[in-house]
Order: sequence, then structure tokens, then C-alpha cells
Amino acid sequence: MKGRYEDENLNWIPLLIGFVFLLPFFLQFATYSYKYYLFVLNMAGIYIILTVGLDLLSGYTGLISLGHAAFLAIGAYTSAILVDQAGIPFFLSLIISPLIAGLFGFVIGFPALRITGMYLGLTTMGFGFIVKRLIISLREWTHGAGGLDVSSPVLFGYTIKSDWDNYYLIFTCVIIAVVLGRRLAKSKIGRAFMAIRDSEQAAEASGINLAKYKMLAFFISGLFAGFAGVLFAHTNHFISTDHFDMLLSIYFIIMVLVGGAGSIYGAVLGTLFIVLLDNLYVPMMEDWIHSFLNTNAGDIQLLIFGLIMFLFIIFQPMGLYGMWLKVRIYWKIFPFNPRKRFT
Amino acid sequence: MSSIITDISQEAISGIALGSIYALIALGFTLIYKATEVVNFAQGELMMVGAYVNFFFVTQFISSAGEPSLWIFFIALIGSVIFAVAFGWILDFVINRPLKDEPIFSVIMATISLSIILRAIVAMIAGPMSLLPISPFGQNVIKIGGIVISMLDIFIIGSAILLVIIFYYFFNKTRWGIAMQATSEDPIAAQLMGIPVNKVHAMVWIFSAIVATISGILLAPRMSLLDTSMGFLGLKAFPAAVLGGFGSIGGAIVGGIILGIIETVSMGTLSFHFEWIKEINDIIVWIVLIAVLMVKPDGLFGVEKVKKV
Repeated sequence: MKGRYEDENLNWIPLLIGFVFLLPFFLQFATYSYKYYLFVLNMAGIYIILTVGLDLLSGYTGLISLGHAAFLAIGAYTSAILVDQAGIPFFLSLIISPLIAGLFGFVIGFPALRITGMYLGLTTMGFGFIVKRLIISLREWTHGAGGLDVSSPVLFGYTIKSDWDNYYLIFTCVIIAVVLGRRLAKSKIGRAFMAIRDSEQAAEASGINLAKYKMLAFFISGLFAGFAGVLFAHTNHFISTDHFDMLLSIYFIIMVLVGGAGSIYGAVLGTLFIVLLDNLYVPMMEDWIHSFLNTNAGDIQLLIFGLIMFLFIIFQPMGLYGMWLKVRIYWKIFPFNPRKRFT
Repeated sequence: MSSIITDISQEAISGIALGSIYALIALGFTLIYKATEVVNFAQGELMMVGAYVNFFFVTQFISSAGEPSLWIFFIALIGSVIFAVAFGWILDFVINRPLKDEPIFSVIMATISLSIILRAIVAMIAGPMSLLPISPFGQNVIKIGGIVISMLDIFIIGSAILLVIIFYYFFNKTRWGIAMQATSEDPIAAQLMGIPVNKVHAMVWIFSAIVATISGILLAPRMSLLDTSMGFLGLKAFPAAVLGGFGSIGGAIVGGIILGIIETVSMGTLSFHFEWIKEINDIIVWIVLIAVLMVKPDGLFGVEKVKKV
């Protein structure tokens, strides 16, 4: 029997992990504003954890979620309340809060048993609005719309304060999340997810329990998002409901789609692409656009995002990862490429 | 006690006006959904674009004519509708044709990206400030018993009824309307029968843009503020369409009006009498949506679809 990853070249993964851990040193060496880059990378890391979970839900299982920021919010607020108000250690909260977000995913999975496609998109969108409103209403714990200050995480007696510490905390979690996501996708559960995406009827006929696996998909996705939420709350030190609006949920879907739905590496690539674009390249372009057009910075950003997403959906539905696969296949069979195949 | 009843009926009438607008937006994407199976999440933005274009025409005409009169609003309305025709036709080329055989996931995301693009473009052109739309009826009101109804609300309800009658006539009596029905039933069979399906689809998008523009024109003076967040109101029309049964034109109208009444009444009288309703009145449409989907996913007028393998 063949091993799970036998036909895949995994030698580059230790190299990549080494690169990830050396990157801050390199940045410090190369630029003066390395703290800003670290901050951007931290945000990308948090979002990667979430989009890996979202990819398992949307890319693998084919269930649309337009309210994933709500799970992020649940994770963030739960952890903030547990650590700061109930006095539970951060390490335990890192386990409990994602579970609670996962349970919410379970709840939203119930309607998903009966409805699919656009209806599910609407339901999750409504779920996003409802969660946001609930957080504002539970004023005693969440301080309403005013936001909540969150303490720094304490792990094994060590307080994680600087961007530098956060970077290592977050990217350790990112690596765990990506590995977990890959293992899940290649396991029996992942294959069941893909079967459900390709044809519900066929999956059911092959003995896959639709109810169980759809709920599981939502649960796992909520788990990842809650995990990201905990890190978000404790590294950002301040959370308010404005952080978790519907546009963010749509950004997450854009990240998954641009990266390539249905591949974990794609989710990682897409998230990095969008976050770096958002924080590094758009500000650069803004200066240039401002030289001939006087507009609001946020609008330019929105326009660029909308255009990118639109062009990707029309011209490159497989996303960045799909592009990379095409390039790889092209070079593998290099001199014998059939014409007009790789356009 | 009777004052509560007056209050509630007062709010119900204002809710019917708001609901008529929801119904028109819902009508817009029901048309598209029926004919092309595309769910247009950008309908609210189409409405916003229509409202902005109309605002532009109205201010231009008023500044050249000197003082506002009903004629100016009428001409501006015609100008906006002509713009909507062109706009819908372009959208058919940009959205509908490239996405013909794509999965529903991509279609949803494409229309969402369209909504983002439209919002950004409008904000870039019109600037970040909110505009103050001018109502053609000023502050005129009519009193019936103890109930005060603004002229604008009457006009909104009237034009919604008129549009619905026009659409009903068009769909059931005219040649093109029947062609549209056939196309939504089965595009391939319709094509084989000699119906120009592409033309019909373009027409559906144009109609949808016209309905959206008219609803935007009606909604803007009612909100008394015009900014890009108006597009989000289009999202609220989705629960309306789902409540009525997605894909049914009558259902969209009834669902819109019911939701409009629920929203206005819960925001008004009920939230004065019950403290907890105040907390939830801005998400009440979404609670209704989820409840409907859990209990009766096909809505009030929907027909249960059996999927063939």
C-alpha cells in the first residue's frame, strides 16, 4: 500500500520552515522599517490559519461561507473574556476558544443540511450580522461597540509582547495549521469532503453520511477560524466589532479564490498575496494614483480588490496555485508541449 | 390602546412603502435568477448607481432651469432609465456571458466583486461625502383619520404597483415575455425553438437594471441621504426574495412587503414597548431569513425543486 505523501516531493518543506524562522533576521538586516513588515506578516499569518479552515469548507466541501469573520470574532472575544475576565491561562484558552467557535460552526451547519449554494451564502452572511449584533448586545462582557482591550499572551511563564515574539508564536501556529489542514485534506475526511463537493448524490450513494460530514466541515472550519481569532485578539491587543465586518468575510473568500480553491497551499499563497498587496503595494500605488486623481485611499483599495477577484474568476478560476501547477507541468514535459494547451 | 393601533398602522403603511422598494429590488434579481440562474449580489449597487445617476441629472437640470418642478424630475427619470438600459446591456456582456457555465460559487463571487467595484468607482467619482437628494414632493403629507402618510410613500407604493402590473402584462401577454419564460424554463430547448437566448438574457439584465434604477430613485429621497452604503440595503432584499420563494415574481413582491412591515413596526412601536426588540431590530430581517430557510426553504410561493442526477 502506498503512503499518503509518497508521490509528492516534500524536501523543500524543512527549507521553507527554516526560511520562515530566519525571515525576521533578514528583514531586520535589510530594512529599517522591519517592524512594519513583521506586523504585516503577523496579520498574514493569522489570516492564513483562517483561510486554511475556510478552504477546507469552501474549497474542499463546496459549502460557501460569507460570514467567516464571525467565527474569527467568536474566537477573539471568547479568548479575551476567558483570559482577562475569568482568569484562565492563555494556553488553555488557545484550546477552549477554538472549540467554542467550532461549536458555533456546528450550529450554522444545521441549516446547511437542507440548503446549498446561494442560500447557504445568505445564511452565513446573516449569521455574520447576527453574531456582530450579539457581541454588541452582551455589553457586560464585551463592552459593546466600544471595543475591548486584551492582555498579552503568557506562555509557560513568558510574556509575549513584541512583534518579534508574536511572529514566532503566530508562525508556529501557522505551520501547525497548514500541516493539519494537509493531513485532513488527504485523509478519509478530506476525501469525503471532496466527494460531497463533486456530487452530493454520488457521495451519499457511496455511503458517505452527508449530515455528519457537512457538520464536521463547519466544525473544523470554525475551529481554525476560532484559533486565528485567539491569536488575533492577543497579538492585536484591541478588538472591536468593527474589525469583523462583512467585508472581511468577503476578503477571506477572495483570498481562497485567488489562491485556488481546493488546495491548502493555494489558501496560503492567496492570503499572502492579498495581505501583502493590501499593505505593501497598494499604499505605493496610492501615491502614484493620487498624483492625478484626488480620491479616498480606501476606495482605490476596494477597486483593486474587486478587479483582482473579478479577473481571477473570469480568466484564472484555478487561482495562483493552479497557475503554478500549469507552469510546473509545462516544464516537466517541456519540448513536447501540445500547442494551444497552455494559454 | 387605540393609540398603539394607530401607531402600528401608521408604521405599517410606512413599512409597505419600504417593503415596496425591497420588493422592487427583489424583483430585479428574481428576474435575473429566473432567466439565467445567476444570483446577482450586486443588485443593491445597481440601485445605488441608478440613484446617483438620477441625482446627477436632477441637480444638472435644476441648475440649468433655475427651480425644481415635477417636469424636471420626470425628465431626469427618463434620462436615468436610458442610462440603465445601457448599463444593463454592458453588464450582460461583462458578467453574464463569461460566466455562463461556471459553478454557482464563482458566479456569486463574481457578482460580489462587481458590487465592490461599483461601490469603489461611485465613491471615487462622487467623492466621500453623502449627498442630499431632493424629493419631488417636498414634505407634503396626506392625513387619513389619525394616520399621516407622506406623498412620497404614496408615490412609491403607486409606482411599485404600476411596475408590477407592467411586468405581469409583459411576462404573460407579450411575445418577448413568453420567450423569457421559455428561456428560464429550459435554455437549450428554447434555443432549439428559435428563441434568441442571448438576446433574451441581455434583455433580462436590462430590465433588471431598470427596476434597480427606479427603486434607487424612489429610495434615495426616502432615506434623505445618498451615499455608497445604500448598496448594502440591496442585501436586505435577499431575505425578502427567500421569504417569498426565490424565483417567483409574486413571491418577491409579497415577501418584500411583509419584511418591510416587520422591519418598520419592530423598529417603531414594538421597540418602545419591548426592550429586547431594540437590540435586534437591525438584524431582524436576517433572523427571519434563517428561520424561513430552516422551516420552509422554498418560501411562501416557491415550488420544491427535485434535482435530477
